Amino acid sequence: MTEPRVVERFKKRTICLHWIHVAAFLVLIVTGAILFFPGLGGAAAGGMTRLIHRIAVVFFVAIPVIYAVFNPRTAWHFIKETLTWGKEDMGWVEAAPLYYFGVAEEKMPPQERVNTGQKLGQLIFLITGILFFISGLIMWFFKDTAPAGLFQWCVIAHDVTFLLAFLMLLVHIYMGVIHPTMTESFRSMLDGKISKKYAQSHYGKWYDEISESEK
Amino acid sequence: MKASAGAAGLLLFQPPALALAKESQTREDVAMLVDVTKCVSCWWCYAACKNYNKLPETIKPDPEQPPPLSTHVWTTLKPVKKGSEWHSRKLACNHCTDAACVEVCPTGALSYNKLGFVQYDKEKCSGCGYCAEFCPFGVPQMESNKVSGAAVMDKCTFCKDRITNGEQPACAEACPMGAIKFGKRDELVKEGRERVAMLDKANTNALLYGDKELGGLHVMYVLDDVPEVYGLPTNPEVPPASMVRDVLKWVGVGAAAAIIVGFGLNYIVAREAMLTSQLPGKEYMRKKEEEKEK
Repeated sequence: MTEPRVVERFKKRTICLHWIHVAAFLVLIVTGAILFFPGLGGAAAGGMTRLIHRIAVVFFVAIPVIYAVFNPRTAWHFIKETLTWGKEDMGWVEAAPLYYFGVAEEKMPPQERVNTGQKLGQLIFLITGILFFISGLIMWFFKDTAPAGLFQWCVIAHDVTFLLAFLMLLVHIYMGVIHPTMTESFRSMLDGKISKKYAQSHYGKWYDEISESEK
Repeated sequence: MKASAGAAGLLLFQPPALALAKESQTREDVAMLVDVTKCVSCWWCYAACKNYNKLPETIKPDPEQPPPLSTHVWTTLKPVKKGSEWHSRKLACNHCTDAACVEVCPTGALSYNKLGFVQYDKEKCSGCGYCAEFCPFGVPQMESNKVSGAAVMDKCTFCKDRITNGEQPACAEACPMGAIKFGKRDELVKEGRERVAMLDKANTNALLYGDKELGGLHVMYVLDDVPEVYGLPTNPEVPPASMVRDVLKWVGVGAAAAIIVGFGLNYIVAREAMLTSQLPGKEYMRKKEEEKEK
């Protein structure tokens, strides 16, 4: 019953990147979200959570940047993959409702390294990451020099971005960890391996490509 | 003479606070009425504020270069030369009824006192500086470390501990000209209007500032010229961005809840489908095709 997990899905360094990024993001979420709720806002008194937010963001930004510097090709592929959209993505959109509710795999066209839904996730995280960075940078370093109006809209931009990223995170967690068909997804982000069967049924196109290149 | 006048003044100003203590159910706003035409720029209000609030001394203010508001200057003057006279507008927190700072303060450090003014609990301040950036009058002052971002805000407290004990704010008590009056807001609005009506005979630019602005300020001004001359915006507004935040919060909570409920339903349906199908999809498909071929 248990399939041997022999296909390399993620490299060790990618897994490290992922989990450090997760840890930093969680700290950022907690220290940020408390500001929305008057009952919890008191936790920010004294400014400690603001300091933690700033320390966490250094990791949040620096870790992917360092990764990209040392793995420029992987980073470039990631960005290219995230920004490449085409007719084939419509196939996923059409099949998705039946697939994710009815487990109707037969309707789902073979997917690339990441399927269209995951690609959308990557795109949202990429965009929100950039928006977070710009609006946060202005609020951090240009508070005294930026016009008040710009600062105010940076606060809003940071809020809207948070909303988008947080909702996407909920989807990401559900799909990666909880959804009944994603049987090997979470484990693959721990040890990097998936079974041949899982690779074929979830990422058919990608699996064909990597087995082709291995030959 | 002065002492007795002060005592009489105190007695006069006691009733609002006492009345409040008795009728704790009704909200009775207190306020200040600042009359620029009476101000002689003696800076006693400035000194009294510093003295009472134990703010570090600075050099004696030079009217040509008045000290701006800062974390240790909670009230100052904006001197304006009118002909041969100097008229100064006292500058401090205006304690708005619709206060942008209270709206955006994430920790509840800024809130409305039941007497209407904007009270400040410094212990709760996180130093985010939103109040300073959203205040239409630029009142809250920050002193911050650029790198760590550690900061604390300071502003006029309306001498909360004094007025809740039936006293006047330090600046109002110190003013020798009666240019800063403290009392019930309703009464001061009436008084301000009467004063403007009187001034109006000689000067049509006279106006009462703050009776309507931002839901009604708790520091109102009798001006003898357009507000801009005294550094006050004609139509101060709560920046729209501060309202957006409140809406966003509920959009966020709603959307997150909807998504989680949706996932719950999806999980139930998909799990059922998964159990009944039993077959990995691709194999299922292959088998079907084989059947077709037969």
